[in-house]
Amino acid sequence: MTSSTAVRTRRVSGAFIAAACAALVVTGCVSNEPRDEETAAAGPVTTTENDEPGDEVVIGFSAPAADHGWMGAITAAAEAEAEKYEDVELRVAEGTNDVNVQISQIEGFITDEVDAIVLLPFDGAALTEVALEAMEAGIPVINVDREFTSPFAARTTVLGDNYGMGVSAGTYICEQLGDNPDAVVAEIAGIDALPLTTDRSNGFKDALEDCGLDVDARVAADFTVAGGEEATANLLSAEPEIDAIWNHDDDQGIGVLAAIENAGRDEFFLVGGAGSSDMMEEIQSGDSVVQATVIYPSTQAADGVKLARLIAQNKTIGDLASIGVPRTVQLFAPVVTADNVEEYLPIGFDS
Amino acid sequence: MSGRSALSGPALRMGGLVLALILLCVVGIATTGGRFASAGNITTILSLAAVTGVVSIGMTFVITAGGIDLSVGSVLGLATVWASTLSTQYMAEDYGWWVMVVTALAVGLAAGLINGALVAYGKVPAFMATLAMLAAAKGLAELIAGRQTQRVEVDPFLDVFRADLLGLPVIVWIFVVVAAAGWFLLNRTTFGRRTVAVGGNPEAARLAGIKIKRHTLYLYGLTGLTAGIGAVMMLARTTAGSSTTGTLLELDVIAAVVVGGTLLAGGRGTITGTVLGVLIFSTLTNVFILNNIDSSVQAIAKGAIIVGAVLLQQWFAAREKSTST
Amino acid sequence: MVDVDPPGAEQRAQQPLLQMRGIVKEFPGARALDGVDLEVRPGEVHCLLGQNGAGKSTLIKVLAGAHQPTAGEVLLDGEPVTIPDPVAALGLGIATIYQELDVVDGLTVAENIYLGHELARGGVTRRSDAARNTREILKRLGHPEISPHREVGSLPAAGKQIVSLARALSRDARVVVMDEPSAVLDSEEVENLHRIVRELTADGVAVIYISHRLEEIRQLGHRITVIKDGRTVATSLSVADTPTDELIKLMTGRAVEYSFPKRPGVPEDAAPVLEVSDLGLGDVFSDVSLTVRAGEIVGLAGLVGSGRSEILETIYGARRATSGTVRMGGKRLRPGVHAAVAAGMGLCPEERKSQGLLLDEPVYRNITLSSFARLAHGGWLDEGAERAAAREQVEALELRPASVDREARTLSGGNQQKALLARWLVHGCRVLLLDEPTRGVDVGARSEIYNLIRRLADDGAAVIVVSSEIPEVLGLADRVLVISDGRTVHDSPADDIDEHRVLDLVMEGSVS
Repeated sequence: MTSSTAVRTRRVSGAFIAAACAALVVTGCVSNEPRDEETAAAGPVTTTENDEPGDEVVIGFSAPAADHGWMGAITAAAEAEAEKYEDVELRVAEGTNDVNVQISQIEGFITDEVDAIVLLPFDGAALTEVALEAMEAGIPVINVDREFTSPFAARTTVLGDNYGMGVSAGTYICEQLGDNPDAVVAEIAGIDALPLTTDRSNGFKDALEDCGLDVDARVAADFTVAGGEEATANLLSAEPEIDAIWNHDDDQGIGVLAAIENAGRDEFFLVGGAGSSDMMEEIQSGDSVVQATVIYPSTQAADGVKLARLIAQNKTIGDLASIGVPRTVQLFAPVVTADNVEEYLPIGFDS
Repeated sequence: MSGRSALSGPALRMGGLVLALILLCVVGIATTGGRFASAGNITTILSLAAVTGVVSIGMTFVITAGGIDLSVGSVLGLATVWASTLSTQYMAEDYGWWVMVVTALAVGLAAGLINGALVAYGKVPAFMATLAMLAAAKGLAELIAGRQTQRVEVDPFLDVFRADLLGLPVIVWIFVVVAAAGWFLLNRTTFGRRTVAVGGNPEAARLAGIKIKRHTLYLYGLTGLTAGIGAVMMLARTTAGSSTTGTLLELDVIAAVVVGGTLLAGGRGTITGTVLGVLIFSTLTNVFILNNIDSSVQAIAKGAIIVGAVLLQQWFAAREKSTST
Repeated sequence: MVDVDPPGAEQRAQQPLLQMRGIVKEFPGARALDGVDLEVRPGEVHCLLGQNGAGKSTLIKVLAGAHQPTAGEVLLDGEPVTIPDPVAALGLGIATIYQELDVVDGLTVAENIYLGHELARGGVTRRSDAARNTREILKRLGHPEISPHREVGSLPAAGKQIVSLARALSRDARVVVMDEPSAVLDSEEVENLHRIVRELTADGVAVIYISHRLEEIRQLGHRITVIKDGRTVATSLSVADTPTDELIKLMTGRAVEYSFPKRPGVPEDAAPVLEVSDLGLGDVFSDVSLTVRAGEIVGLAGLVGSGRSEILETIYGARRATSGTVRMGGKRLRPGVHAAVAAGMGLCPEERKSQGLLLDEPVYRNITLSSFARLAHGGWLDEGAERAAAREQVEALELRPASVDREARTLSGGNQQKALLARWLVHGCRVLLLDEPTRGVDVGARSEIYNLIRRLADDGAAVIVVSSEIPEVLGLADRVLVISDGRTVHDSPADDIDEHRVLDLVMEGSVS
């Protein structure tokens, strides 16, 4: 599952996103209030000697605007993580979808001589140059989720696993349908123009092929409730009999479920994506078409903050023989089912 | 102008749209057979057309009057959010589902009236006033919802608007009623006639004694109201209110209205054309999805249709002019 | 034809720079120019005089390359030339400064001056060169204070005129045509304009100057050519030796006499319907007072820019008066067009197409536009009633073709005017304001319109007519007001004044 293809470079094209968000001329200046502390702060607790207070470190944090449940959870989790350490001062820049603004935020951090920067760029390529500047200025940059185009622009990169998400979803569906090669499998993607969508779809297709299945129908939505509803309504119309559906994104999942309910269909099971608490509750209830969801951790930036602290304090990561924090950390994309939903519910985000 | 071309203008345009729709249906049946023609699929197409359609009816009026409203999508989003806040839903639990409906309509109407006041009395160009509203309504929706999706828990509301009536979903009936009302308003009332006059020649309309400013206020109010109606329908369809709902809807709406034959410059509007325009786009989407075709190809086809329709419009206009002199 | 050599012209070059011989220009259905001769020498200010509609505008458009003459020839330096388009005119050194200044508001002064012949190398404009040249030209024009980088839209009318002039100079113009350049200027600006014109002529440039202001012509001009009804009636008159009286005599009198309907005379005891007192609009006009009784036609005569159209629009409420009152039937009108229309007032505007009609809508909808109060029920249209009301008027006014369903666009000028009149007839107007009711109406249809207007008055309407054609005002109206520079300079029964006197009043009265 952690094959080398998973570590492919993702270039989130600014142009595509700009087009997709053309109407989102968002004022984008509503502060990301730290939400439910327990949501983000809880989770599997591992305490190591690294958690002992060390040198005071200032960490600059910048991420896109929280216009989407998952992205909101990203910043909330990062802030909650920083709260846990009395030796960490997290400076959170206002979330923005304007690469120019984000670049100037990083320039500000460089001027302030922060000890480390955690950066989830709106567009990896566009922020590479300023990240290089930070690195040259001696400030370690921790790149989260959307990769820079230069390996020298980040000290460490924390990645979700989009390809792996597809593989996890595909593998789960294979396990459930494996004995039926004629089963109809459908896919509801997110914004098709984004490379991450392509990665997820490729992983999904590859995993299904392993057990002799394929994607019989595929529609793309736009990560919104309304988009999910529309795409699903058409999909259900197109396919009178479906055995399994994978929905890339739990934010649009509410719309997906509304369309399914509207059509009165329940002959299939649905696998979600990203891991919202809504979907986990559906799984928990046991009487929903939602049987599983694949986690795309909204705690990546929190991991970034943790690693930034270790790097700034010149510590190394626990449980590794090698010295120093690794260059790349790719997070696991586990499948949440009724069996383990209790365990994951605390890290589910509000869509 | 000869008698022949007097007949051929609007009739030919409508004929072209009907032909395009039939062609799409033929392609749909030819490529997917019974799946396209099934009752369920037709219902799907109509349901998808319903929300865009209702808002397009309002937009038809504004565009006929020579204006534009870019804010319909985000006003619709704002209305879904406002109508699904916890406090609105508690009130709806106590007093009845209509509370949510009234809230959504009021939000839409209020936003529309603000647009109208800015355009008519503030003399802000419609493009800018409604662009500002687009941004502001979106921001307000995000603030209210805290960028969360608000589930609708008022079951009576969902029961009413997700129900079927005479074999068709209630929201499709809402579209039918709004379209019929729009047709009468445009073609059979002084309001409609004045709308055409204001769009065709604002100075002449003013000198004929029409209160242009007040009329403009009403026009944007009307469009806002249709966005509010659209919000109720969207709440029912998605069972949730969200600031992302309605994103980019204005583009679909404007495209449908213009493809339908309403002049972007104003002075001529057609509700029938708008309905056909909306149906063409929802059928197109449906046929593409039935055939499992990439969404990028869909987008290209959509662009081609818009350009084609506008070129055709200009061709008709040039023909009319040349036969009239 | 009078032909006099100006005394003291010997010191100027005798070889004519520009000659126009026997210029004829026909438009479909009309002959705008019917044999015009003009001879202009280098270094002179040649004044072109003639009443409205005499053909001055058409003539300068021929010279500017905007119109092609049907017959006749244009000679430059004695050589015949053709001027197929405006670019060619500029190439020959003929520059025209129109009354409607053709500058682009959004561009800078320098960009305007070099518009169409940008100083460029390899597609890149040489802005500094353009700015430097512009600065030189502006200095020569006596306006060094205008920055080449200033946006033209921010300049006053006088400044825009300077830019237009500068553009002409930048093309090394030898003949500069100026169409009523002083109409938009105040007296100080007029002084500067005159100085510039004199400097141009001192450099050997010939200036063709169109103006209605006799005093100005006396100050500035060398020779005068008078045009009437598309013909040259006198050419190369010496400014110094031709008395005003003779000039006016040359301009007045018509080849074509229109027949006007008889005036039945308004009874002394007829009730005043419209009372305007001390009406004013900023610095456009002031202290206009007039009373129109039922059955009376009042005419307003004056030059373009005298404020006559603005007076009508202000009475109508389309412009907000800064002083004075308008009463109908003794009741003071509230501001706004709607109130005026509701009280029974109607305006047929000067620009029928852009201000009056919905060109793409059928005739009946144009006719009923102001009468929904009567023809609709609670907001619901009654198309049957609309068509019937429209048809009645179409028949009464003999509107042709007699169909209420044709688009207004397809009607001739005269019939479009009838459709507008029909609008107010359906409405049941008591006061009708008519701005240039026969502009763009062909000769044959004019008498018809005149008869119609008189009939409306006979039926009890109070009518005000504005026209730049003095005979029209005199022939149609019971009483005539002469407007000059926003003031009433004359008010009397139509019989007590003649064309000669009106022209005298508007031309002398408007000297800055």
